[in-house]
Formats: sequence, structure tokens, C-alpha cells
Amino acid sequence: MSTLTIVWITLPFFVGFISYLLPPLNRILSLGMTIASISYALLLFSQPPLTLQLLDRFGVTLLLDPLSSFFILTNALVTAAVILYCWNSGKTPFFFMQTIILHGSVNAAFVCTDFISLYVALEVISIAAFLLIAYPRTDRSIWVGLRYLFVSNVAMLFYLVGAVLVYKANRSFAFTGLREAPPEALALIFLGLLIKGGIFISGLWLPLTHSESETPVSAMLSGVVVKAGVLPLVRCALLVEEVDPLIRIFGVGTALLGVGYAVFEKDTKRMLAFHTVSQLGFILAAPEVGGFYALTHGLVKSALFLIAGVLPSRNLKELQHTPIHTPIWIALVIASFSISGFPLLSGFGAKVLTMKSLLPWQVIGMNVAAVGTAISFAKFIFLPHQMQEKQGKIQAGFWAAIALLIGGLFLANIVYYEAYSFGNIVKPLVTIALGWLAYFLIFRQAVLKLPRLLEQFDHLIGVMSLMLILLFWMVLA
Amino acid sequence: MLEAFIFATILCGFFGIIFKKNLVMKIISMDVMSTGVIAYYVLIASRDGLFTPILSTTRRGNYADPVPQAVILTAIVIGFSIQALMLVGVMKLARNNPTLETSEIEQNNAP
Repeated sequence: MSTLTIVWITLPFFVGFISYLLPPLNRILSLGMTIASISYALLLFSQPPLTLQLLDRFGVTLLLDPLSSFFILTNALVTAAVILYCWNSGKTPFFFMQTIILHGSVNAAFVCTDFISLYVALEVISIAAFLLIAYPRTDRSIWVGLRYLFVSNVAMLFYLVGAVLVYKANRSFAFTGLREAPPEALALIFLGLLIKGGIFISGLWLPLTHSESETPVSAMLSGVVVKAGVLPLVRCALLVEEVDPLIRIFGVGTALLGVGYAVFEKDTKRMLAFHTVSQLGFILAAPEVGGFYALTHGLVKSALFLIAGVLPSRNLKELQHTPIHTPIWIALVIASFSISGFPLLSGFGAKVLTMKSLLPWQVIGMNVAAVGTAISFAKFIFLPHQMQEKQGKIQAGFWAAIALLIGGLFLANIVYYEAYSFGNIVKPLVTIALGWLAYFLIFRQAVLKLPRLLEQFDHLIGVMSLMLILLFWMVLA
Repeated sequence: MLEAFIFATILCGFFGIIFKKNLVMKIISMDVMSTGVIAYYVLIASRDGLFTPILSTTRRGNYADPVPQAVILTAIVIGFSIQALMLVGVMKLARNNPTLETSEIEQNNAP
């Protein structure tokens, strides 16, 4: 198993370079790599947790347990869907190479449990994501990419200072060393991870980046890449009990902040991006069951981004007057129901499981966030639709990708089938009903436009210093 | 004492990123900041000794800790490749935004 693990971690990088050298094979090789990852993740579910320590105590440490296999499975499924989506879109081998390298580095970030391997993985993610965002080579795409790279690189510099403080205290970079490390190490490392993961106000770089990228790239970014910053936080919370309350506070804060922006948003892709922020909060709010939630969210969010890419407009006001093709509408509704937590889809099981693992003080906040989710997705569910005769521009690849993702949503139900009890089923239905009621009474007509001031580049950097002060205050208190 | 200088360097870089308007200046400030971080790793490595850890028959004194140095070498390589990538992006942007002021670029490219 250890040899298999090491081969599997290095494989994406080899496949990436080889597929660039052999352009005719690049799509098949990339798809083969994702299938290999899916099989590896499924194999991992049946194995006992595996800890690998390469070199000495300061070397690379890997941890493979069911939590990481959930994340690996998410990554593999989303990447496979994106490759299928781009199959006939005329993307160059460079695009597929970057996709598969991104896949590999996200995998590496999911399995490592020491700060330096994580640093390297996160930086490779930044570079690969930048190249994917800037793939169209337009001024706007380059600026959005540069902004992303800049913010994440500055965050990683703070993170590095924190990492060396952990080393100073333990002579090892392992996550568990956080317990003996001074509080400032905790604050600095968390600043880096919170920014990379798009959590709370330090995650406000995320909406613009995810909404202005191309459709398949946004699906990748929202579905898996941000989780590379979130899983280490979850891991730290599970390995070191002292940081658990801190993570839970950020979870609730993020869930509410993201939803607060999303209910007023009139642009489909921006709304989805704000929803990513809020759903990451759900993962952090209950760290011990975060894996399943991450799987559901990854599948549903990438499906939604892919669907949003084929809608006739990005503006929800215009969409209310232009009917969309019925099959697309059905896919959109299934995905929206799953994210709102409707029974029969895995979003239901994930929400029930998360709500059950909350601490008493979190319950109110998370329920408000769940109602907010129902409100914002009511905007999609109640769009007009009709059968249209000619649908020339939608390719088979789109349907293959959507079938994979939505099929995954149905199948993932079996992970937590115990959720189907009467009380559990009634509660989400009430939440959704409340959300729809609020949508029709208030939010359908609301024209409040929230300012984008905090999303400006200078403010993103400024907010970092505020977050650092907040974190220092939280860990010292 | 040395630690204070290092933190001053990091902070100078960080404030440069905030206060400089030009994109190239921001990138240079980021470089200053990363220089500070690298120096901090070197300082931590030299806590116990200064000599390079190379095997030899004569013992010359306490060795420096090789682990932080090896780690920061990786970080230096990553840092400079990211900077190279950013500068290429800036070159592309400079064609349509010759002043390279971030507020201008942001205004031209915001939705």
C-alpha cells in the first residue's frame, strides 16, 4: 500500500509532462489519471488509516485515512468531469497538462501532514491555477490571475514564518507540533491557510477569481482547489483539540458571511462563488464529518458552475425573461435541491450529518445559513423553462460531465443512509419551505446592491493585516 | 536584535505592498518581504552553531541546523519562479496599461 501511495502521488506529474510531449494522447492520459485516482480513493476507504514517514522526523509525513479519501474522491471526480467537459472544446494540450498537474498537487495537499510539504503543494497549486485562469490570455484574465497569485503568495510568506516557529519549538514540521508551538505560530499559519481556503473576510478574493474564470476552471477552483486550504485546517482541528473551537467559530462566521452576500447577488456565477465561501463554513463548522460534506459540495458546485456556463445569460434578472432549455433546467434543479439539502440527494445526508455534529452554540447560526442557502437557490429553481428545438452549441461532453457529477450525488447517498428518519426528513423540508417563502416575500424584489469595496486588491492585502490582528487576539485570549 | 531587523524587513515589505501604487513596485516589495522570511530561516538555523555541516576528521565547532536551510532553498526556488511568472503577466498588462497602477488596471478590468 505504501508503494502504491507514492506511485499514485507522483503519477499525475509524470502524466502531465508526458501528455505534453505526446499531444494526441493528452486527453486520454489525463482521463486515465483521474480514473486511477478514483480507484485509489475507493480502495482507500476499505483500508485502515496509513501513516507514512519518509526520511527522519523532519521529513515528509503523509496520512491516508477516510477523511482524506473523501477529498481525493472529490478531486478525482471533479477533474474527470472537467476533462470530459473540455473534451471537444479545442483546448490545447497545455490546458490538459495544467489541469492534471493541478489535480496532482491538490492530491498532495490532501495527504500531507507536515507544514513544508503542504507549503510546496499549495504553491504548486497557485502556479497551476494561475496558468489555468490566465489561459484565455486576455487582459482581464491575466489581471484576475495575477491578483490571485499575489494574494496567495503573500499569505504563504506569513505561513512560512509560522512554519519555522513550529520547527523551532519541536525540531519537526509535523501538524501535531502545533500543540507545543508558540501562539504566534498558530496565528501566522492559520492566516495563510484561511486565505488560501477562502474563509471569512480573508476569502473575499474568491468571488471575483471564481466568477471571472472560464467555466471549467471555475468548476475546478470552486470544487476542489479551495479545499486544499480547508483540509489542513480540519486536520489541525482534529489532531490538536485546542484549535477546534477556533475553527468552529470561523466555520459559522464564513457560512453566514457567504450566504449574506449570496442572497443579494444578481449574477449567477458570483452567487455560486459566494456560496462556495459559505459551504466551506459548513465543512469547518463540524470538522469530524467535513469529508462527506466536502464531497457533496465539490460535486454539486462544479455541476452548478458547468451549468451556469451554458445558460443564456449571467444576469438573473435577464434569465427570468429568457426561458432555458428544459433538460438543462432539470439538471440545474437537481443540483440546487441537493445543495439546499433536499432528501434523496447526498446534500441531504451531508447536511443532516453536519447539523448533528454541531456544538449547541453553533446551531442557530448554521440553521440561518441553511435557510439562506434555500433562499439563494430558489432563484435558480423558479426560472422559466421550455423545450427548445435547436440546441446546437451544447456538446456531448457537457452532458457526460453533468451525468458523472449528478450520478455521484445520487450514489453518495449510501454513505449515510441512516439519515432517512422522519424527523431528519421534515427539518430540511421546513428549512426549504421557509427559504422559498422568504424568497417570494422579500428577496425576489430586493434590489439591494452590496458594495464591492472590500474586494479591491489593496483592501484584500489590508484585510490580511486585520485578520492577523484578529487571529493574534483569538489565540492569545 | 537580529530578529528585530528581520521582522522590520518583513513589515517593510508588507507595507510596501499596501502603499506602493505601481504593480512592479508591489512585486519588488513582495520580494523584500520574502527576503526577510528567508533571513529568518537562516537565523533559526544558526541558533546552535555557524559551521556548515560537512563530514570531516577535525571538529571545528557547533554545526548549523541544515533542515531549515534545505527547506528555505525550496521556498527560494518557488518564490523566484512565482515572481518570474508575475513579471511576465505584468509585461502583458503593460501593453494596455502603460502606467501599471493597480487602481487603473482594476478599473479597466473589473466587471
